[in-house]
Amino acid sequence: MQRNDLLWVEKYRPKKIEDIVGNDEAKASFVEWLKNKRHTKKAVLLYGPPGVGKTALVNAAAREFGFTIIEMNASDARSEKAVNAIAKPATSYKALDNFTGETKTSGNILFLDEVDGISGNEDRGGVSAIIEIIQKSLVPIIMAANDPDIDKLRPLKKECVLIRFHQVRIPLIIALLQKICLLERVNAEFEALERIAQNSRGDVRSAVNDLQSLSEATHNLTLQETALLSSRNKDISMDETLHKYFAAKYIVEVQSLLSYSSVDYDDFLLSVSDNLPRRYTNPSELAAAYDYVSKADLYRGRIGTENWHLLKYFFNELAQAAAVNPESFKPFEFISPPIRIITLFWTKGKRNMLNNICGKIGTQCHVSHATAKHDFVPYIKLMLQQKKNSPLIEWFKFNDEEVDHLLKMGRY
Amino acid sequence: MVAVLNPKAFKLPRVEKEKFITLIRLGLDYNRDQGTFSIKSYNNVEKLIETVSAILGDEVVFQQTCTRCGKNFSCSTCNYVEMCATKNLPFTCVCPQCLRDRKQFEQYLLKF
Repeated sequence: MQRNDLLWVEKYRPKKIEDIVGNDEAKASFVEWLKNKRHTKKAVLLYGPPGVGKTALVNAAAREFGFTIIEMNASDARSEKAVNAIAKPATSYKALDNFTGETKTSGNILFLDEVDGISGNEDRGGVSAIIEIIQKSLVPIIMAANDPDIDKLRPLKKECVLIRFHQVRIPLIIALLQKICLLERVNAEFEALERIAQNSRGDVRSAVNDLQSLSEATHNLTLQETALLSSRNKDISMDETLHKYFAAKYIVEVQSLLSYSSVDYDDFLLSVSDNLPRRYTNPSELAAAYDYVSKADLYRGRIGTENWHLLKYFFNELAQAAAVNPESFKPFEFISPPIRIITLFWTKGKRNMLNNICGKIGTQCHVSHATAKHDFVPYIKLMLQQKKNSPLIEWFKFNDEEVDHLLKMGRY
Repeated sequence: MVAVLNPKAFKLPRVEKEKFITLIRLGLDYNRDQGTFSIKSYNNVEKLIETVSAILGDEVVFQQTCTRCGKNFSCSTCNYVEMCATKNLPFTCVCPQCLRDRKQFEQYLLKF
C-alpha cells in the first residue's frame, strides 16, 4: 500500500505524545504515572469518549519510552482462560529482547483496550483474572474504556489510577484539520473546517475521516460540500437506506450513502443478504452479488469494535454487490427487519420455555443448562412420549405447559 | 459575579476541615508555603468547580491559555462556547484570533 493510499487517520496518527491533540492534563498524568508511579500503582485506567486519543497516547508513549505493547482488545476473547493465557506470561517476565543485544526495550506493557466491552457471558471471569494479574504483575498494565461507571468494572477501578479524557475542543480540532489541509495541499474554507469540527462532537478520528472523504478527490473544500455531514446525525431508517442502496447507479453513490447512514451495519448486512434474490433474478448476477456480500461480511468481522480503518473496504464490497448490474433495477418490496432477527423474535417464547426446563433439570441433576439441553432433554422427551404421566414430571416439577412443549418440540 | 481563577494557583477563603478534605479528594492540591490551591486531578473537575463555586459564592470560570500565542483569554470570546463540553474548564485551547490567522498558523507550524 502506497503512503498516498493510506487513510489520513493512519497517516497522521500521532507518533509522539505531544502530537496528540488536546487532553494535555491527562497526558501529563499518564506520563507521570509511567515514569514514576507505576511501581506503587501497577495499573492505569484511561477513560473517556471515543476518538479523543486514549489508544494513540498508549502507542505514542510506548514508542517514546521504548516499551513493547502486548495488546488485548475487544476483538479477542477475554475470558479468565484467555486472559491468563496471554496476559499472565506477558506480565510475569521481563522482555527477552534485552538479552538479544539488538534492541533495548524498557520491557512489556500490557494494554487492555475497551475493558468496558468485556462481556458477562462470553468473557466470564475476565475481570477477576485481570485483577489478579494486576496484583502480581511485574510490568505496567494500561486499560482503556469509554464508560468506566458500569458495575462490572467497579472492582477493577479500585486497583487502578484513573485518568479521565474529555472531548477535544472544537478550536483544537479545527487547528488539526488546518494542519492536515496544509500538508495535503487542500484548499479548504475556514467555515467548512468549522462545520466538520462541530459535527464531530469532539471525536478527532471522525473529523479527520470526514475531511478526507470530502476533500481527497478534489483537494478543495467549500462549506456547501459539507452539507451532507449534517445528515449523519439524522435517523435514516433501514428502509430508506435499503431503497437508496439498491437503486444506486454508481459505486461511489453507495459508498457515500453508507458513510452517512446511521443504520446498524450488522442488521444492514443481513437485510442486504435477505433482499438480494429479489433484486437480482439472473443467477450469475445473484452469485456475484453474494460473493461481494460474503467479502463484506469478512471485513465486518475483522472490523469488530475497533478496526474502523477497515470500514472503507467493508463499504466498498457492499457497494460492489449493489452495482453488479445497476441497469436491471426494478422497485420491489423489501424484507425488513432481517429474517434472522424476526425468527429470533418469534422463537423467543420457545427459547425461554426450554431455558426454564433446562433450569429445572439442572437444579435436580446438578448440571449446567448446556448439559441439560444436550444430554438430558432428548431422553426426557423420549421418556415422556412413551409414558405421559411419568413420575419424572413430578420430580422435575414440570408444569403442563412445559410437558406439552417437551412433547411437541422438534429440534432443540 | 464571576470569579476568574488561574488553575495553577488560586486562593480560597479559609474553610472547615471537612470541606478542605473534600476539596483535596476532588482533585485540588494545596501549596502550604504560598497558601494557594491548584488543580491536580481533572477526573472530577465539574464537581470540583461546583464546590469551589459554593465556597466563593460566585460562578467560577478558569482562564484559558492559547497553545499558539500563549496569551490568556476567556471562553466567552469563543464562537463555539455553546457547544463546548468543557466550557470554562481549565483545558488547553486555541484563541479565536490565532484560529483565524492563517499566516500566524503557518509560522507556528514551522516551529516543528
